[in-house]
Amino acid sequence: MNIPPWLFLASLVLFCWGIVGLLQKLSTNRVSAESALIWLVVGFLLLTPVFYPGRSVFDHSRRSLLDILACSALNALGALALFAAMKNGGKASIVVPLTALYPLVVVVSAPLVLHQSITLLQGCGVACALTAVVLLST
Amino acid sequence: MTFGTLRTKWFWYSILCIACWGTWALLAKLGSEEISPNASQFLFAFGALPVALVLLARRRMKMEKDAKGIAYSIANGILSGIGSWAVFAAYRTGGNAAVITTVTAMYPLITVILAVAILRERLTRVHLIGLGFAVVAFVIFSL
Repeated sequence: MNIPPWLFLASLVLFCWGIVGLLQKLSTNRVSAESALIWLVVGFLLLTPVFYPGRSVFDHSRRSLLDILACSALNALGALALFAAMKNGGKASIVVPLTALYPLVVVVSAPLVLHQSITLLQGCGVACALTAVVLLST
Repeated sequence: MTFGTLRTKWFWYSILCIACWGTWALLAKLGSEEISPNASQFLFAFGALPVALVLLARRRMKMEKDAKGIAYSIANGILSGIGSWAVFAAYRTGGNAAVITTVTAMYPLITVILAVAILRERLTRVHLIGLGFAVVAFVIFSL
């Protein structure tokens, strides 16, 4: 086995976001989903001194800076759309697994946008992972 | 789901959610090609700020005052932030974006395990099959 570096980082993501999934449940039992999202952003802001990279933060192309700012706003908007789906009659048992399919957008568009394609073996892994995501979100 | 589902609001909100999160992942990959994970995560906090401010204005600055609920939500933000830092770092390694996005989306794997251990929730047969698929995916990506 030759575990690639990205898989270690992805495991850290799984660990952190896995706990987030639990905390989301605990927090929305006590406050509204909208309040939970507002306080989540407060949590983001509390982390900013840790990640502050110095003045070099602005030494990047406008395109890259906009990419990161837009990706952040889209992340929050996606969460709002999820809450709206549930508020408008969507059952959590359907909406959550359905929205968990978001990696499909990347799988489909990566060859066009990023000029990256996946091997047959990686394709099998992606299919297994997506199936796992849907089943685990049910 | 039936054909009538296409006429429901919740379905289209769900599609909007998929579009937002899918595009989020693509832009994160594009941005992280030039910007370090630290700087990306620093900027990420400020990108989400306008959405939080709009929500706050819509609620006329009124928020619930449940201390535990607030603490859980803030902890949520801190762990989400560390997680997204790791996403930026993973993308920056040059790995395949589709594969990284799919693997990181498997986080319900940990939630399910923690829900069983901490909240004493029961593991359903569907969850067990899901865990099996997740293990297979990890083995494939480790080959």
